[in-house]
Order: sequence, then C-alpha cells, then structure tokens
Amino acid sequence: MTETPVAGERVYRHSIAARITHWLWALAILVLVMSGLQIFNAAPYLDASDKSDPAHRILSFDAHQAPNGAQVGTVTLFGHTFTTTHVFGYTDDGQGGEAERAFPGAVTLPATQDLAAGRVWHFFFGWVLTLALVAYLIAGAMRKDLRELILRPSDLPKMWPMQLYYLRLRKDPPPHGTYNPLQKAAYTTVLFVFIPLLILTGLALSPGVDAMTGPLIWLLGGRQFARTWHFTLMALLIGYFCTHMALVFSTGAWNNIKSMITGWYRLKENDGVGV
Amino acid sequence: MKRRLFVASLSASGLVGCGPVKDQLTSSLYGVLDSVQGLNHAIIGTRGSARLYSEADISSDYRIDGLDTPSDTRYADAAREGFRGYRLPVVGLVDRPQVFTLAELRAMPQLAQITRHDCVEGWSVIGKWSGVPLATIVAMAQPRPSARYVIFRCFDKDESGTEYYESLDLHQAAHPQTLLALDLNDKPVDPDHGAPVRLRIPTQLGYKSAKWVRQIELAATFPTPQSKGGYWEDQGYEWYGGI
Repeated sequence: MTETPVAGERVYRHSIAARITHWLWALAILVLVMSGLQIFNAAPYLDASDKSDPAHRILSFDAHQAPNGAQVGTVTLFGHTFTTTHVFGYTDDGQGGEAERAFPGAVTLPATQDLAAGRVWHFFFGWVLTLALVAYLIAGAMRKDLRELILRPSDLPKMWPMQLYYLRLRKDPPPHGTYNPLQKAAYTTVLFVFIPLLILTGLALSPGVDAMTGPLIWLLGGRQFARTWHFTLMALLIGYFCTHMALVFSTGAWNNIKSMITGWYRLKENDGVGV
Repeated sequence: MKRRLFVASLSASGLVGCGPVKDQLTSSLYGVLDSVQGLNHAIIGTRGSARLYSEADISSDYRIDGLDTPSDTRYADAAREGFRGYRLPVVGLVDRPQVFTLAELRAMPQLAQITRHDCVEGWSVIGKWSGVPLATIVAMAQPRPSARYVIFRCFDKDESGTEYYESLDLHQAAHPQTLLALDLNDKPVDPDHGAPVRLRIPTQLGYKSAKWVRQIELAATFPTPQSKGGYWEDQGYEWYGGI
C-alpha cells in the first residue's frame, strides 16, 4: 500500500522506541564484538566439533619464532596459512608492546589480555542487546511499524530490480514503501535471524544452559561448533554493519543520522512511505 | 588460564593505573556490569544434567586446566608418599564432622561419568571421572540449617601466598553429577589434574572444579568479607560458573 510520497517532505519515520533501541544496539554490538574478541583470544581457534579437536580445526591464530629470531604471527583458515605479523597472531598487546595474541589490543575490550573482565563486559551487554531487541519487537508490534520493515513474499520479485538500481544498471528503483526490498531483507535477517542466533549460540557455550536445554547444543553440532557459529555470525554482523555504513553515508548521511536521532526524515526522490 | 597471565595483568594494571580515583571508578563500573551475574544465576542456575558421553568420545589427551602441580611443600610431601597420609576432613557448620582416608572414600559406592569439561577459555575436553558424589559426603556430616556454602580448601598457593580455594552452594553441591573425583579415565587422578581428590562439577565451567582438595568446610558465608568465593572469583571470574 504505497502512498504517493512527495520529495522534500518531512515524515516521522522512527518512533522513540526504535531510536533508543537502535543506539542501544549500536553500543551493545560494539562492546560485544570487542569483548568477544578478548574472550576469543583466550583460545584463539575454532573447531567444527563438540570437544576441542585439532583434526576439525577450521581457524587458528598462532605465533612462532622465525629462524632469524623474529616473531611471526599467522592465521590458518581451512588449512591455508597466512602471515599476519603485527596484525593477528603476534600483535599489539594493549600496553604499547607486542605479544602472542590473536586479535590486537586496539580491537579488544579491555585492551590488555584480561579474560575475566572481557566476560563481565560481554554478559552485561548481552543483556542490553537481548532486552533492547525484546523491547523493540514489542513496541514495533504495538505501533505496527514493524510491518514496514519485515520482508514479505511480495517483496521478493522486487529484490533484483532494486539491486540493479543500486548497481546503476536501472534508472529507477521499483516502487516500495518506507523501506526498499533490499533494506527489508537486511533488517529482517539481522533482527530475526542474526541477533537471535547470536544470542542462542552464545548461550549454548554455557555448561549450565547446556544442562538445562539438552538438545540445543546438539542442533548446533556441539560446544566448539557453537563457538564457531557464534564467531561466524559475528563476522556476518560486521559485514552487515559495513554495508549499513556504506548506504547511510551514500544516501544522504545527515538526513539519515538526523532521522535516527529526531525521528524526522526528509523524503528524497523515489523514497516511499508505508508498508 | 595460566597463573603468570594473571600476575602479568595485575602488575600491568598497577603500572598503567592513574591512582586510587581511577581504581575506584573501575571497580564501581565493574560492580555495575557484574550485577547481571545474579540474574544469570537465577535464570540458568543448576537445572537438568550435563550430557553423558560414551567411551569412544573420550579425548586422547585430557588438557590440564587452571594451575599445574602445586609447588606447596605440604603437597609435594603428600605426593611423594603416594598420598598414604592423606585425610579429608569435613568441618564447619555440621553436626557430625568427618575425616576420610583415601581408602574410605574408595570403599564408598562410586559413580563414574563421562562428561565434557568446558574451560572458561573456550576449549572443551571429554573424560571419564569417577568418585563419590559430593552429596553423599555432605549428608554424612549433617549440615546445620545455617550452612549455605560448601568451601573447598586446596593444596597450593600462588606467588603472593594466596591459597587456592573454591565454593559451591548447597544446591549445586547436591546435584547428582557433582563428584569428589578420585579417578580420571580409570586411573587415579594425577597431580596435574588435581590428585588425590578433585571436585568435578560438569554443569559449570572448569574453574569451579577445584583441584587438590584438602578440606571441605560447610559455612554460612565466604571465608572473608573480601572473598568472592574462590581463587579465580577473587581474580574477577564469576562465582556462578554455569555461564
């Protein structure tokens, strides 16, 4: 049900609940990624198995000393080893020096190697993320503005034309509501697949949760596999974030950012409103 | 989870710290962040049972978790004579204090279980632990109603002289899978894995499974007002180790 939008018109696009939870997610995801990398550093490898097993290793970060005495950092992914000295494996120790460390101090929280503190950050912001998602879904369902961003079957035929428009192979985007079909696909995937699965795979790492939930860990392939999924989903979420940033900044950065602060968005040519 | 890592990080934080104000801020910040621990404990708690595995699942090498063999001279002496003189007292808020020899512990009905050991660092290993359910030992001592915690005093001290200890509440101690383990993979537990008696609680992370238990005490509170309930807890790890 696309209304006829007028370019230049200001519309109230984001509810107060959507704006608050959006920025809570931004903060929570930043802290969760950084504290998660801190936690990862304590066992910098991922196995596709239940127990730790080098025979099923798909990713590992290592350090060794070269014959000339120099420290070398490496990353091994699916059996292919890459030299990553000063970036991964042997890198910034968060104290101005370098050490055997998977991810550098610049991207971990805290910067120095401190698993206990990393866990404290991670669990607190895990709750922030979870409660913000629940609050958003409840508010969105009550205000009915969730309908505007959930991907529905009728959007599917419009996804490819929209992609062609982004690639500048098509002059106009297909007609759409507040969000275009690719935005809907991205937001639906992040909100209903990535974040719930991140929470679930994270919980599955806890022995108390495994004892309580029984089959959950088996659906994920075991505890080390759950760790692998958790890490992979994080990588996908970072991929989403990069795309999100590219589009925020290429489609009227200030208008976009302002709308996520005040709620008011100035319609551009081809923008829609409604479902 | 090597001790030197902690010593290094402790001394490093002393070097970069900007005096008491920053320390105070940091500790109140962590106090706020850590407040969700009670929520995690309340929601997850100790429910259900850890999965039991088959012999075929046992890891070929049971990785050493936490600290390796204690440097404590009392421990070295006891180990040298094969723990023949070992006695396990159960004391504190109990009506019938107990003292067990290894032979007495071995003469009790044994429970063997193949479970997964999940380390706080992220790795997992599967092994067969057998021994006496902790619930049996605690029940024999008849805890008084005021007892809330089971505190495990262990052999070993770190470089600063701090004794290694751990604690569970009575509910966790009563879980049928919580064991005082005597054997690992059908052999007496070796010093690196906690000889002669080790706590094994598969529903929580590995650091809760205290090694080298030398005394069990029933108590209403943790040993000191500053104590967070265990050696690792005092280093910043959660007392509730189910997450």
